[in-house]
Parts: sequence; C-alpha cells; structure tokens
Amino acid sequence: MSDYIGEVVESGTKGFVARSPRVGEAPSFGSFVRTDAGSPIYGLVYEIITGSREPGRKPDAYDMSMEELRREQPQIFELLKTEFHVLTLGYLDRGKIRFALSPLPPPIHSFVLECTDEEKEALSSEDFFLRAIITSPNVPADDLIISSLLGAQRARKNDKDFMVRMGKSLSRYLKDDYERLASILRRLL
Amino acid sequence: MIRERKDFAGELTDKIRLAKEELRLKSEDWEGLSRKVEESRTSWLVAGISSPPASASPLPERPRSYTAVSSDGSQIFPDRHEALPCYLINISSITLTYGDEARAELSSGPSLFYRDEDRFTTWGGKKVPADSDVISLKRTLMEFERILQLVKSNEADGNTIALSDGTLILWRLEASPPDFRDGIMVPFLRILEEFRALRIPVAGYISYPGSTDVINALRVGLCPEKVSFCNQCPYTELPELPCSPIEGLTDRFLFSTVLDTGEASAVFKSSSKILEMYGEHHIYFFYINIGEEIARVEVPKWVAEDGRLLALVHTLIFDQAKKGKGYPVSIAEAHEQAVVKAKDRDFFFSLIREAMVKSDFAVTVSRKGLSKRIPGV
Repeated sequence: MSDYIGEVVESGTKGFVARSPRVGEAPSFGSFVRTDAGSPIYGLVYEIITGSREPGRKPDAYDMSMEELRREQPQIFELLKTEFHVLTLGYLDRGKIRFALSPLPPPIHSFVLECTDEEKEALSSEDFFLRAIITSPNVPADDLIISSLLGAQRARKNDKDFMVRMGKSLSRYLKDDYERLASILRRLL
Repeated sequence: MIRERKDFAGELTDKIRLAKEELRLKSEDWEGLSRKVEESRTSWLVAGISSPPASASPLPERPRSYTAVSSDGSQIFPDRHEALPCYLINISSITLTYGDEARAELSSGPSLFYRDEDRFTTWGGKKVPADSDVISLKRTLMEFERILQLVKSNEADGNTIALSDGTLILWRLEASPPDFRDGIMVPFLRILEEFRALRIPVAGYISYPGSTDVINALRVGLCPEKVSFCNQCPYTELPELPCSPIEGLTDRFLFSTVLDTGEASAVFKSSSKILEMYGEHHIYFFYINIGEEIARVEVPKWVAEDGRLLALVHTLIFDQAKKGKGYPVSIAEAHEQAVVKAKDRDFFFSLIREAMVKSDFAVTVSRKGLSKRIPGV
C-alpha cells in the first residue's frame, strides 16, 4: 500500500484517528477520506494535530529554519507524529454508500485513502454530510461545512447548481440561526 | 546550615584559586610533575601527565557532515517474588547523521534471558545466580556490541563518533574473579580493537564528573618529598598535610576556571588498576567546557594519540552537547529509547503470568509478591 495517507490508530463508531506516514503531512482539513480494510468507511477530516510521540516530551523551540532543523536536528522528526481526526459520514453497504454510521468501526491499523472525485461526488450527491456535520458536537462545524463544500464542488468541476442546492439545504438546517447561515454563505463566495 | 554552606563555599573559592595557581606553576615544569606522579605511590587515582596540564585547546572546526552513533540499555532485573526467574535487557540504537544526508534512526530492542546459562554466571569457579551487578555488566557489553554493529552498518564517511554514556573504565571488574572478569573484558577489548581497526573514535561521556585525578596529581606536586609514598608519609604529625590545601576539590571545579566554552583540557592518562588489562586501549581523558558544564570525556589510547581523531572527538562532542542543550543529544536519545519504566516492568511480568496461564502452567508467586499487587486495607 503505497498511496495511503494514514493508518487508523484509534477507532470508534462516530469517527476515527489516523496517523500520517510522514510528520507534517496530512489530508487537508475538510477533505473526504475512506478506510480500505473490509467494508470502507467514509468520513471528513476535521482536525489535524502534530505533536510529540511520547506523552512526557514536549517540542522545544530551536530558533532554526526548517531547513536547518532537518540538517542539524534530524532526530526531532522521528519524535513527532501527525494525526488527523475523521468524522464518519457513511459506509459502503453492498456496493452502495449508505449515509449512516457503520455497524462496526474501521479495524485498527487499516489504511486511510483520499477519496477519488467519483467518491466525493457520490458522498455529496445528497445533503446528508451537511447534516452529519451540523449535528456533531465536537467538530468546528461551520468551517468544516465550508471546506467540505468547496472540496466537493471542485470534484464536481465547479458545478454551480450543486452549490445552490447545498445552500438551500443549509438555509433549511440553519433556519433558526440567520447570522450563522449568513456567515457561512458569505464565506463560501 | 546556610551559614555553614556559605563558609564552605568561601573555602572552596580559596581552594580553587590555589589549585589553579598550582596548575599554572606545574605547567612550567610539567615533565618534572609527570615523572614524580609516575614514581609516586598514593592511595588515590592520579592523572598521568604528558603535556602542560594547564593548556587548553580551542574548539576545532566541525565537519559539515558527520554521524554520531550511540546506544544505552535498561533492564528488568529478575524478581524472586515473580512467577518465573528471568530478566530482560532493552538496548537502544541511535544513528544521527548531520549535514547534506541528514537522517535519524532511533530504535530499541529487548532480549529475554531465562536459560540456565543466562541466569547463572561462573564466579570464581562457582555457579552463582546473575545479580544486578552481573546483569549491568552484561548490559554494558551489549551496548558496546550494538554501537559497533551500528557503526559497521552505517556507511561511515570518516567523520563518525561512537558515544557511550559514562566511563569506558570497567572498574567494577577489579573486584571480580578472573573467570568472570575475562568473560566481560575479553569481548569488550575485542570491540575496542574493531573500533581501532575502523579508525572510528569511541568516547565515554561523563556529565557532572566527580573525579579528582588531576587534583590528585597536583597534590602529589604539593608534597615536599621528592617522590611521594603516602603509606610512609612523614608529615602525619603536622596539623595539616602539605597536600591537603586542595583536598576536597574535584577536577570539574578546577577546569571551570581554566577552560572557556568549547575549550578542551590537556589529555591525561587514567591510573585505574583495571586498565592494566587494556593494553593498547588504555583509557585517557580530558575535560571539556560545553558551556552549561564541565564534562569528562574518556577515549582509548589510540584516539588520544591521534591528533585528527582527538580533534574530531572534541568538536563532535561539543556539537552533540550543544544540540542536546547541554548534554549530547545522541546519548540522551539512546537513554530515552532504552528506558524501561516501572509500568513496563509490571506489564512484562503480567505478560509472563498470562502466557503461563494460557499454557496451563500453575502460576505461583510469593505471598510478598501477591501482597504488593493486591494491597488490602
């Protein structure tokens, strides 16, 4: 498996955490990803964290450029890790994406792949992903909506109708919070 | 207590001043002191002198690219209150390459010892259980074996240093019977020989050293006798011995007033008894001011006598200490990778118990072991 972007190191029904193979590299915030083992689980990256591998050790300031650090303190890159958190959107059920939590979370150590444009299109064909974001308590919902929508629109080759459709869905979901809706829509332009 | 401490500090300053003056004076006739040290018989470890002892070498230029290799070990000692008599040694491997091809390889690997030949050792013709001293020496040997392996597997470019935490002088073996001593010493010297053949300098780094070898040499210098024989000291009736004004100082104190940051002291010869076995690998040492502290660096004779290797050790150790904010980064990482914590130890023994249960073995632990695990109220 050479093109994987992460390996599941914490697995749960509502989401999972994956470790990047290289420090500092991760799928972007808001990108659609999937696991590759068993029945694929689809999700959205909502948090990327780089920090020490060991709980008792904290990164220190070195007063060096990235280039200097790589030349003169190469060990620090072995002592850091980058992990990203994924919010589960759905899973593949008998060849079809089902927008619901998977009966079982992804196996630990399964690889994580970036979704293809076709998969992104399928995942954004309905507005369920927006609802999943809005109803999740621990994600930066508004920014995740913006990033995932922009990503989906790119995969759909800037389909304008798609944006209008999703805008309508958002106005329905956020009908009680005009300020919030307005802020999201303004930032989507 | 504070007042006493203050008085002591004042006394120390006087002693350091005196020792520094003595070091300067003796540097003018260092050959005389060197001869006297060699001929004298004292009860202390006295530094052998082969150059002006007050001299300080400036920091040589660091090669643009270099590799530092190190290893450290940690162990779980056998516990007779546990289900099985066995022990574990975890050895780390550190290779840090700097410059254009910079890379870092950090890892560690445990070894489990449970067979009779591991659990028992021959000690003066008798078979005795391996205790913490024996296991620690075995561990030291494993660390050097690992460092050698790492050096060999690394495509050395001529600027490689092998670093070990602590002394290269296996003085603990002085009190061991020959059969046990040889079991450690012979392979240890073989490893040093391989380093010599590869021309890779190996160095032992001692942070915050408590050694007094150079102070002791100066004390021999202070002795009014032509040659000092401490057990025939004619001054024992005096209120203070002629050699005692600088007694109680360590070399570290002295060299903190002599060396600027980056500078290394003259190279001295250690007079540890065990070194009689070292031959060509006799251990020499120098002090270095790494900025945060004065450290002691030990090297085999063939490094001490090779100007290029010595300068390489000097500059690379300073660079390693700078990178590690006062302590060589490769040695610090070797420790971090090797360390076995109390939690790991508990996990290790519980794994063994579990494996035994799975194989239908009766697990018997002592009542003491049991009571520690399940303390009642």
